[in-house]
Order: sequence, then C-alpha cells, then structure tokens
Amino acid sequence: MKIIHKPTSANKVISIAKDILAVVKNEFRTMFKDRGVVIMLVLAPLAYPLLYCSLYKNETLIDVPVASVDCSRSKESRELLRHIDATQNVQIISRYGTLAEAKQAYNKKKVHGVIYIPADFSKKIISGDQTTVSVYADISSFMYYRIINQACSNCIMAMGNQIQVERLNANGITGESATILSNPIPFEGVVLYNEGAGFASFLMPAVLILILFQTLFLGIGIIAGTSRGENRFHVLVSSSVQRGETFRVIIGKSICYFTLYASWSFFILMLIPRVFNLPHIGIPFDILMLLIPFLLASIFFSMTISVFMPHRETSMIVFMFMSLILLFLSGVSWPQSNINGFWKVFAWLIPSTNGIQGYIKINSLGADLRHISFEYISLWVETAVYFATTCWAYYWQINKSKNKSDMQEENQEDDSIEAVLG
Amino acid sequence: MTGRPVYFISTILIMSFSYVFFLTFFNEGQPNKMPIAVVDLDHSSVSRQFTRNLEVMQHCHIVMRLNSHKEAREEMQLGNIYAFVEIKRNFAKDAVSNLRPSITFYVNDAYLIAGSLISKDITYISAVTSIGMQQKVLRAKGVEENRIKGIIQPIVTDSHLIGNPWANYGTYLLNVILPGILQLMVLMMTVFPIGVEYKERTSREWLKSSGNSMFAALTGKLLPYTFIFTILGIIGNMLLFRYMHYPLNSGIGWMFLATFLLVLSSQAVGILFIGITPVLRDGVTFSGLFGMLGVTFAGSTFPIEQMPAGTRIFSNFFPIHHYFNIYVNQALNGIGMQYSLLSVIALLSFSILPFFVFIRLKKAAINQNFPIK
Repeated sequence: MKIIHKPTSANKVISIAKDILAVVKNEFRTMFKDRGVVIMLVLAPLAYPLLYCSLYKNETLIDVPVASVDCSRSKESRELLRHIDATQNVQIISRYGTLAEAKQAYNKKKVHGVIYIPADFSKKIISGDQTTVSVYADISSFMYYRIINQACSNCIMAMGNQIQVERLNANGITGESATILSNPIPFEGVVLYNEGAGFASFLMPAVLILILFQTLFLGIGIIAGTSRGENRFHVLVSSSVQRGETFRVIIGKSICYFTLYASWSFFILMLIPRVFNLPHIGIPFDILMLLIPFLLASIFFSMTISVFMPHRETSMIVFMFMSLILLFLSGVSWPQSNINGFWKVFAWLIPSTNGIQGYIKINSLGADLRHISFEYISLWVETAVYFATTCWAYYWQINKSKNKSDMQEENQEDDSIEAVLG
Repeated sequence: MTGRPVYFISTILIMSFSYVFFLTFFNEGQPNKMPIAVVDLDHSSVSRQFTRNLEVMQHCHIVMRLNSHKEAREEMQLGNIYAFVEIKRNFAKDAVSNLRPSITFYVNDAYLIAGSLISKDITYISAVTSIGMQQKVLRAKGVEENRIKGIIQPIVTDSHLIGNPWANYGTYLLNVILPGILQLMVLMMTVFPIGVEYKERTSREWLKSSGNSMFAALTGKLLPYTFIFTILGIIGNMLLFRYMHYPLNSGIGWMFLATFLLVLSSQAVGILFIGITPVLRDGVTFSGLFGMLGVTFAGSTFPIEQMPAGTRIFSNFFPIHHYFNIYVNQALNGIGMQYSLLSVIALLSFSILPFFVFIRLKKAAINQNFPIK
C-alpha cells in the first residue's frame, strides 16, 4: 500500500482520522448529555413507530355500527339485512321504523350509516320490477363511507344476481345460458401490494420514513441551535476550529448521525414492518442501498438548514408543522401524478420525498434497485449538492466567527487606549 | 413580540404558507385522470370500445397501451401507473359465442386513495359493458322492453354521502389538517413566549410589570396571540367554506366560535405544559409531540372507535378532537347545536388547566430555580 511508502501522507491521514474521531466522540457526548436531543434523536424514533403502528393496527374497520330501516318487513328484506349484518365490516346494531328515527341515532353518533329498504321492496321483487335500496353513509371519515358502501353494495349485488337468474328463467332463458347472461363478462379485480386494502399498510411505510427524516432534521436543528445560542459570537462553530478543519468537523458530525440512524433504520424499516405485519416484500440489500443516500442526503440537508437556527427551540417551532406537508408532498395519499409542477419540484428538493417513494416501491411493490433508479440517483445528487451547501454554510459560519473575534480584540484595544487617554 | 423573526414566522408566515400550500395542492378536490394502462391482447372493436369508455371516466387516464402482463406489472412497480386492465386474446369472439370471456384489472392499493378511486371507475365501466350486452341479448330474445330493466338490475343501490355529496377529498383532509396546524402553532407560541422569560431570566421583571399577578402576567402575554390566531383561524374558515365552497350546512358563525375555542383551549394546554416544567426546551418538545398527535386523535383519518381500547378516552384530552366533533355536527351534518354542546363544554373546560400551575409558575418566576438550558 502507498501509505507505507509515504510516511508523511500516512501521518496526515492518521491525524485527519484522529480529528474526525474526536469530533465523532464529542458529538456523541453532547448528544447524550442533552435531554432534548435524546428525546428527539433516540426516544422519538423508537416510540413513534410503535405508537402509530398500534393505533392503526386494525388496518380496516370492523363491525361499523349501522341502523336499518326496513319498511318492507318481508322475507327478502330480512334476508338482505342478514347478509349485510354478516359481513366483517358492518354490523346492524339497531332497527328503526322510520328514517327520522334512524337519523336521530346517527346524529347522536350511535350509528355511522343507515340502510333504508322501501315498503314496496318485496312487491317489486316478486313482480319483476326494479327496486332500490338506499344507503346513507357517514362521511366524516373516508374509511366509514368506503367500508359501509362496499359492504352494502356487495350484498345487494349478490342478491341481485340471484334474482336475475330467476327472472331469466321466468323469461324462458334457462340453465347454462341464464348463468352466462346474468354475468356475460366476468370481471375480476385483483388488488396488488395491499391485498386487504389496509390503512396501515398504505400509510405507515411513508410515516416510518418520515419519522426518520423529521426526527433527524429536528434533532440536528436542536444541536446546531444550542451551540449557536450558547456561543459567544452567536455562530455555529467555535472560532477554535481552523478554517481548514471544517471538512473534518462536517465528516465527523455526519458519521455520528449516520451510525445512530443506521441502527434506527434497521429497527424502523426492518423490524417494525415484520412485527406489525406491514408490507415487507423488499430485498433487504436494496433497502440498504437506498438507505445510504437517503440518510446522507437527509443529514446534509439538515446540517445546511441547521446553520440558520439561532436558538435550540427554533427548529422545533418553525419546522414541526412541515411533517404534515412533507407527508402530502411524498405522493402517497394524494398521487404523485396529480401534484402540480411547482410543488413537485419543491417536493423533489426534500430528501424525504424520494426516500418515501423509493422505500414504498422496494418494500411494498417489490421493485428492485433498477426500478427506482430515479429516486436512487436523485438521492445521490441531493447528497452531493447538500454536502456542498453544508461546507459552504460551515465556512461562512467560521469566517463570521473569526471576524467577530478579531473585531472584538480590536474593540478591546480601543477600549484600553481610551481608558489610558481618559 | 417584534424582536425576533421567530414570532412573525410561527404565527402569520406559517399559517399563510399552510393555507397557500394546501389550497393549491388540493385545488382539484379529488385526484382526477390518474395514469392507468391497458393491455389489449384482443385488438377487436369490442375491446377498443371498452377502452374508449374507460377513457371518459373521471379518475382514469390511459397513458400506455402495453403488450404484456409483465410489462404492465413493471410499469406499476415503477410507479408510472396505478392500475391496468387486461383484455385477453379472442375476447370479442368469445363474447359473441357465449364463452364468457373475462376482463381482469389489477390495481395498486399501496396507494390506497388512487387505487380505490380508479377501481370504482373500472368496476362501473365493466358493469355498464355487461349491461349493454345483456340488453342486446334480451332484446334479440324478444323480451318486453319494460321488463328488461328489472332483469338486468333487480336492485339498485342508491348511496348517499351525508353532508359531503361530492366525496371531495380536500374536504376530509383540510378540515382537520388546517385546524391541526393551527393548534400546533398555538401550543408552540404559548410555550415559547412564556418559557423565554424563564430562560432569559427576565421572569421577575415580567411578573413585576403586571403587579405580581400571575393571572395578569399570563393574560397580558397571551392575549395578543389569542387575537392573532383567532383571526388566522377565521381566515382559514373563510377560505374553506367561502372561497373553496366546502360543505357548510350550518351558519359559519359556529365554525368561528369553534375556532376561537380551539385557540383558547390550546393556549390552556400550552400553559399547563410550561407550568409543569418551566423549562423552555421541554415545553417546546412536549407541545410539539402533543400537537402532532392531535392530528391523529382528531379522528378524521382513521376513526378513533376502531383504534385500540382506551384510545377513545385518551382522545378527549386533545382540544382538536372536540373541534372536529363540532365541525362534523355543524358544518358537515348541519344538525342542532345541542348535539355539539358537550364538545363546547369540553373545550371550555380546558381553561381550568392553567389554574393548576399558577402557583408553580409564580414561584419559578421569582426563584428562577429551573435550568435554562
């Protein structure tokens, strides 16, 4: 190896490594001494995934209470209601004589939906006419409406098909041809990647990545804000750091954050999905490959912004609300195809967007690295760009600190001269 | 209040940014024309007709015509399409000869909203196609025209969405997210201005300037924020209900009242937090975590009732939970105010909280015995 033949450069490498190691150690020490930082960088990434996963563990709604208003009171209407009641998602908990009574129960939030069967329901079924069943669904949550509607229309359709075959028979179309005609084009819907249409399986992967990103971002903001707030000259890096050593400080700090968050990532992205049965069909190696640029880009992005945090509280106060905005920008709930141009560019600039999309594609959709080349390359580009901005921002801070300390020395001299003259 | 930029940023700037962001982000109301693909292996007039029908649906936009299942599945993994329809070879021929050819569609529910909206459209189109076919056959068999309807679709589902007839996605979200951000910022900007007095060791002067009365000191400190955040919240209400015309089935005054109560109760919770530990950094951390959880516990995204036992009781500790109840009862359902009375009382009763920490705050202000870092 070259280093052996060139002792001077070897010494230099060792001294750089020693410096970096000292920064890493120092950073870890400040981190774990500070209660606020420990909450943000240790407690939050451990507790939040557990909390949210347990809150959403039901995935779908089970036995949503609904009321029925059966004005027909017939064999047919009772059969239909029995079928609806038997579904997993809906439970008929009360029966009323009029729609007004049912509405009362709905207003009191005892039920989240009402199924109304008109008086002529069975008469029309017997006479061969078309009849109607009305379903009223609570729309205060997207889930109620979707689940109630789905359960009811499935049961109604099944009953309808049965009646259809009987009516075809009555019209002289019998046997196989009646079955065929009742469903001429069998339609098969296949749900992929989230077979149960579960809420947690859909939202949690994005939330997990966002927890990593936001805690890292806010944590770094707190650390930087603290050192600026406590620094004599109100700058981030103390003036004892030589200009040439900026690089070492940045590398040292990022190694510290990276090692910490590599372990959290293992916990959040590998263990949590398995424990809570969220989608986890991705190849661990691919997730790892995505994770490296994601964490680096997030670290340098956070370090760049953190320079502008004058106090330790600032980043929390000013950026906490961004969690919600970043969730929508990631294009998971509101599809990415429908995000307009400006916000798409804005979203791209923040590492969480590409991190979330990349992770979902690998871990939920079973894509491999070449499928997510856009997200992967974007994250490396972001890593490079934000590394450059971090260096620039740190240089700027160190220069400012130097100038300020120089100026103060001059001022002190002036003061002493004035004192002598005075 | 004008000294540090953080005061301006975390009141007016953040709220304005949130309004602009969410209103421009959700201006479509529902995600329309989402990309899907068609794998047409039949290339017949029937399959082309089916594709054309699909094209006019609200949520779908056919961006690709592919030649194999594998290709389509890869496009789905790439995230370029949210669903694809596969029409098998000899589809038209089999349909004519009564062999019941099937159509299969694949939808990506990892993006649940996109997936469920698209699958609704495709299901509808396929039902229409089936019905068209049945009509043709029944007419050919000489079934009377007035009987056909009853045969094809014996029972019709007539679905009503109570209060939000257009199932507008923005309505669900913005009515909880914008108040969610409001209460988060109120919490922060209650804890911060108070906590900063303790951190900078100016708490004695602060207390003295209000005649040694903690009540007067806190009121004087927080009243400007009550005012600013209420105005900002009301601007939010106006934007949602007047500018965006989201469903409002009650007087808008009830929403103004609810917004005012949300601000007030969040301030009360904020005082409690900074009272428990008059240390700025902890106060900010608590209120940040609490404020973010509030959005979940409002109960809009996933119903509280369906969460683990105990969550229902726990959710009552979040002012925004009661705000959301009032919103559902008044704006969405338009029912009598008596149904929301309990929520109003709950919001009002949050104002008891500060009284538990008055003495503690006063002692801390005088003794200054808490760490500043």
